[in-house]
Amino acid sequence: MNSSNGNGSMSTASSSGAWDGRDQFPAGLRVLVVDDDPTCLMIFEKMLKTCLYQVTKCNKAETALSVLREHKNGFDIVISDVHMPDMDGFELLKHIDSEMDLPVILISADATKQIVMKGVTYGACDYLIKPVRIETLKNIWQHVVRKKARNTLLEIKY
Amino acid sequence: MDLVQLQRQFGFLDEQFTQLQELQDENNPDFVVEVVSLFFEDSERLLNELARALEQQNIDYKRIDAHVHQLKGSSSSIGAQRVQKVCVAFRNYCEEQNVEGCLKCLQQVRHEYSLVKTKLESLFQLEQQILTAGGSIPME
Repeated sequence: MNSSNGNGSMSTASSSGAWDGRDQFPAGLRVLVVDDDPTCLMIFEKMLKTCLYQVTKCNKAETALSVLREHKNGFDIVISDVHMPDMDGFELLKHIDSEMDLPVILISADATKQIVMKGVTYGACDYLIKPVRIETLKNIWQHVVRKKARNTLLEIKY
Repeated sequence: MDLVQLQRQFGFLDEQFTQLQELQDENNPDFVVEVVSLFFEDSERLLNELARALEQQNIDYKRIDAHVHQLKGSSSSIGAQRVQKVCVAFRNYCEEQNVEGCLKCLQQVRHEYSLVKTKLESLFQLEQQILTAGGSIPME
């Protein structure tokens, strides 16, 4: 229902209600995946669909940002590659952090400690190294639940 | 006889390729061929860009590094292990701004790429032949 063509446009966004209240949890998790590499993007999409997630793909960070802005509350989590020509994953992460309250997972073929550290300090909820296995993607729903739980706790405290 | 096992033995395709095969199902019966074709298309583009970039008077190593990085990512995602390995060495030469090393790596990566391409093409051809003859492809 929610698949997009390669340049990030999408048909309809599902913004109805909380995903985690539904019966088939974690199926239906609404994922936005961003990668300028078409091979990787195609593989991610297939893997995420196999996990029964609802996938929207973008090959540009700018497009991803406008999709997110246009469909507030339309997504549960964002997965983004780090090295992209127009805007890199770190910048995208900063925008998402300041404008929306979404967990962001960064992905890269780069595995140096420095860059992983950068990802974590910028606020990525996880940093995955390519090639990503489907088993890893099966668990990403935990980041969504964890963030929600943390937010709820903060609300109660204050 | 499992062709993929054979390829893995020689290090051409690693476990990631098996992941792709496992993703293929009745809804996407051509998934592996589609992804691999995309990889071929994109890699050829990257290799041409790399050759062009290394021909320049003032070599833009950042640009070369970006291309090699992408090739590293995509080759690892389809399991083309040997291509990925050369990319690692390639990036080191980029960092050192060593043009000789880069040119050598470009040659090597082109070679590894054409090897894995040939392997994959014959794999697909053989699978097609088996299917046409009415047989089925053994998984694993």
